Amino acid sequence: MSAGKLTWRTALRIAWRDLRAARGKFLFIAFAIAVGVGSLAGVRGFGRAFRTMLLAEARTLMAADLMVRVFEIPTPAQQQLFDSLELRGARRTSITETVSMITAGDDDLPMFCGIKAVDPALYPFYGEVKLEPAARLRDVLTPDAIAISEDVFTRLPNLKVGSNVRFGEAGFRIAAILRSEPDRMTGSMNVGARVLMSRAGLDRTGLVKTGSRAAQRHLFQLPIASKLEIGPVRQEIQTAFPNALISDFRETHPLITANLERSEQFLSLISLIALIIGALGVAATMHAHLQQRLDTIAIMKCLGARSQHIVRIFLAQTLLVGLVGGLLGAAVGSLVQAAFPLLISRFFSVVPTFRFDFLAGAEAMTIGLLTAALFTWPALLGIERIRPLMILRRDVTPAAGGWLKPGLARLATIVLIGALAAWLAGTDRWRVGLYFAGGLVTSLLVLGGFAWLLLWLLKRVPRASFSTAWRHGLANLYRPGNQATAVLVSLGIGVMFTLTIYLIQHGMLDQIVANAPPNMPNVFLLNVTSREVVEVESLLKSYPGVEGKPEVVPSLAARLSMVNGESAESLSKDRAKRRFMQTRGVTIALNPRPGALITAGAWWTKDTTKPNQVCVLDSTAKALGLSPGMKLAWTVGAQALEATIVCAFKIEEVRMGGNMDFIFSPGTLDEMPLQYFASLRIKPGSVAGFQRESFKRMPSVTIINGADVVEIIQQVVDQIALVVRFISGFAILAGAIILASSVAATRFRRIKEVAILKTLGASRRTVAAIFSVEFLILGAVAGLLGSLLAIGFSNLLLVRLLQAKAHVDWLPSLVAIALSALIANVAGWLASVRTLEQKPLAALRDE
Amino acid sequence: MILAEKITKVAQTGTHRVDILKGIDLEILRGETCAIMGPSGSGKSTLLGLLAGLDSPTSGRITLDGTDITGLGEDALAAIRGRKIGFVFQSYQLIPTLTAEENVLLPWELTGGSGDGPARARRLLDEVGLADRRDHYPVQLSGGEQQRVALARAFMAQPPILMADEPTGNLDSANGQHVLELLLELNRREQTTLVLVTHDPALAARVNRRIQLMDGRIVNDERG
Repeated sequence: MSAGKLTWRTALRIAWRDLRAARGKFLFIAFAIAVGVGSLAGVRGFGRAFRTMLLAEARTLMAADLMVRVFEIPTPAQQQLFDSLELRGARRTSITETVSMITAGDDDLPMFCGIKAVDPALYPFYGEVKLEPAARLRDVLTPDAIAISEDVFTRLPNLKVGSNVRFGEAGFRIAAILRSEPDRMTGSMNVGARVLMSRAGLDRTGLVKTGSRAAQRHLFQLPIASKLEIGPVRQEIQTAFPNALISDFRETHPLITANLERSEQFLSLISLIALIIGALGVAATMHAHLQQRLDTIAIMKCLGARSQHIVRIFLAQTLLVGLVGGLLGAAVGSLVQAAFPLLISRFFSVVPTFRFDFLAGAEAMTIGLLTAALFTWPALLGIERIRPLMILRRDVTPAAGGWLKPGLARLATIVLIGALAAWLAGTDRWRVGLYFAGGLVTSLLVLGGFAWLLLWLLKRVPRASFSTAWRHGLANLYRPGNQATAVLVSLGIGVMFTLTIYLIQHGMLDQIVANAPPNMPNVFLLNVTSREVVEVESLLKSYPGVEGKPEVVPSLAARLSMVNGESAESLSKDRAKRRFMQTRGVTIALNPRPGALITAGAWWTKDTTKPNQVCVLDSTAKALGLSPGMKLAWTVGAQALEATIVCAFKIEEVRMGGNMDFIFSPGTLDEMPLQYFASLRIKPGSVAGFQRESFKRMPSVTIINGADVVEIIQQVVDQIALVVRFISGFAILAGAIILASSVAATRFRRIKEVAILKTLGASRRTVAAIFSVEFLILGAVAGLLGSLLAIGFSNLLLVRLLQAKAHVDWLPSLVAIALSALIANVAGWLASVRTLEQKPLAALRDE
Repeated sequence: MILAEKITKVAQTGTHRVDILKGIDLEILRGETCAIMGPSGSGKSTLLGLLAGLDSPTSGRITLDGTDITGLGEDALAAIRGRKIGFVFQSYQLIPTLTAEENVLLPWELTGGSGDGPARARRLLDEVGLADRRDHYPVQLSGGEQQRVALARAFMAQPPILMADEPTGNLDSANGQHVLELLLELNRREQTTLVLVTHDPALAARVNRRIQLMDGRIVNDERG
């Protein structure tokens, strides 16, 4: 070693010695890191294990070797391909999935239910349908018997196996309870009540007609050891069904993979927040630690250490603690990974077997180390400002510091966080990274600002009349070295996340049912045929309780095929435009909707209207480069449809079910198999009666009321909420650990304080009461801040996304405040119990 | 060895201006042992801090072993302190989280010292009579023992200059005497230039030069 150089090895040695003297405090920091690293490693490890499992179990999850999903009946050419494949030895079975109403009798309300119609002789090619009582599917699913999922029994409590129910025009006997089917997650309906019936049974209901938007899945099983290979077969099918969703056993199912990736990204980002909270704790604790080490730093400087040497020593210390935390986190990650199957067991019949994922652990550890080091960096830069003269003169203040270095360190931290978020996001990286970093900085600033304000107010509370415990407890919050703001911010973020999820999941969705916003439809009728539309209109006109003017919109499932004589396929290469090439709903109208704004061309009038004219939604026109004068062609099943664009329009209003892209002039769709969609607003008390009456008069029309919609949303939300709560729990845990580490960081100050208080006659009970007041205030204030923000966020989501009224439910917030006060007290006590037991003389002698 | 020319130090606190040192001219020769004396507030510790490069003068120039340290930055000053100066403080200033031996070894580690540091640290601890206490933490040592550890640390990097601020000020007379004897003995053996600040006339009597400060000025400078 040459003079003036301090190697990392020496820095680590000195760092280790210092660390040794404050094991408890550093253990807390390590835990804070471990929590974040653990949740990240767990989420990513499980994601990877799940993907591996999907690949291994792909056949079972699809119930086939290859699957094609479309929304239309096959054209003659497509049918010919199916026949040819079967001639060459492939086995094929089709599944139709749709929704309808189930009713048990005149007294029960019809209930919205998913239908899956299969050929029980062939389905499933792989895996097994589990029924209760146990039986073979082919023995149970006769044309007049069905199996239903347990949710139906919960909603219609009078039902039991053996009861009779009706679907559309047909009656069925419930032959069994449907426990699970292998391809549930790859089907079109994977949440909610559902029924399994035979294809012959579905035909009897009269529910599926030409133009209905029922999903068709064609499953194939290829013969073993034949010339029929999966690759070429898939290619043949792809050519015949250019817009179908096709998957085979060699890949994970695209829908599940997409959902898995989205969930993994979302949970990874929440884990990153837990990790950042942990890193904030590390930064806060290191700051407090450096404050206690001012003398040590000044001595080192007297002994010839340069600022950069000392920074290196304390950075090495942070990295050492980060490493311990990271290793601990990797172990915690395994537990998280092992816990996931329990959380999602309701939705997946197969879950991955646990194995330790080294890569996920290493990734999370690296992120943990980087985050901890960068968050601590601004505190470490303060070392430069400590003057060695402090050793001779206690009144020496640190040198004035420039803003550039700390500013750059903070900027680098934000950029790193954005980059990490972008990396974890996988898709749309830049935007996610930017939003995440921006959102986090804003949240931290808002929470920090609130925390500062609340502490400022508490400081000004006149305390003369308070008891000793309250007076000192309050004062403890402002003592030098107390990390009250950091604790408030971190615990607050944890509470905010968990409570926001809870508020949306519960109370709020119920509220939408009870008080659907005025003017918004609360009942929808689907699958209305041309034959039934007159009956529906007459019912809507005559039924008491129907408010305003119900809307009946014709709809047709059509696929855009040509643009100006050129095949639309060429457009479909662009991923953003591909969705317009799928089968989508189109409609006819004489007048534009109220509030519609014509952005190009002119809408037809009563006098100018003629068939085969079309107006295009402005956003769609922009996406596809369409303008008035262009000629478009669609396919509707085997039929063709042509029209010329006359205008483009824009609608600001958000509509249930979205806006249709193409609106045709009256007369254009006269020969087409139209389906109608009705939406109406009805007095809440009259909904049940209306449902019964509608089902009696038109059994094949599907009625969805607001409650059904909310229930479906609720089930989806429930599915993710459990997992999200589990992961956001880590953020709360990180907050609690920060509180504990902040208490541990001020241990020396507390020991002295307790010793003096005891010397002056304070009992242990008094001292305990002082500490409790401090922890209680920290926890309760963090709970309050988190709750206020959660109420704000959940209402923002409700008002902006669901057009619901803002609503405040105080009970969950009060529970959150009480719980976070409790957590803060437990964490605070765990860290200070030793302090209280110390004999005063020993503490005073230390001086 | 140490040359101070027209040194002033002014402390500005709000509207108040305090002239701590008002023009000090001083030269301390190589191998000289020198005591800076004076009442509280006369500027002794400030002068010691300036001579050691722990602070910068308001005006004037300080040269240490041929190097002008007046305009040097913090890191350059740290490097000079590490190579050229050993310190002994009134309140020992040991790092509480390090053992006696680790405290002694620290200057060697911080300056990337050459040779067998740990062996020298053990030898120095042996010389101050603490060979059997080398694994003890400061809190486990008496005041006299802590100051002896500080002495060993001050000589660890073999500095040409030793600066001591009231080295016996916190010790009883027996311990103070013991520490003083050790200090002078090590100083003689290591051939360092010694600058110490003291109130104690008995201590001042043991060095070969006494500089009296009063109200920020040198009022007396005697050798012998």
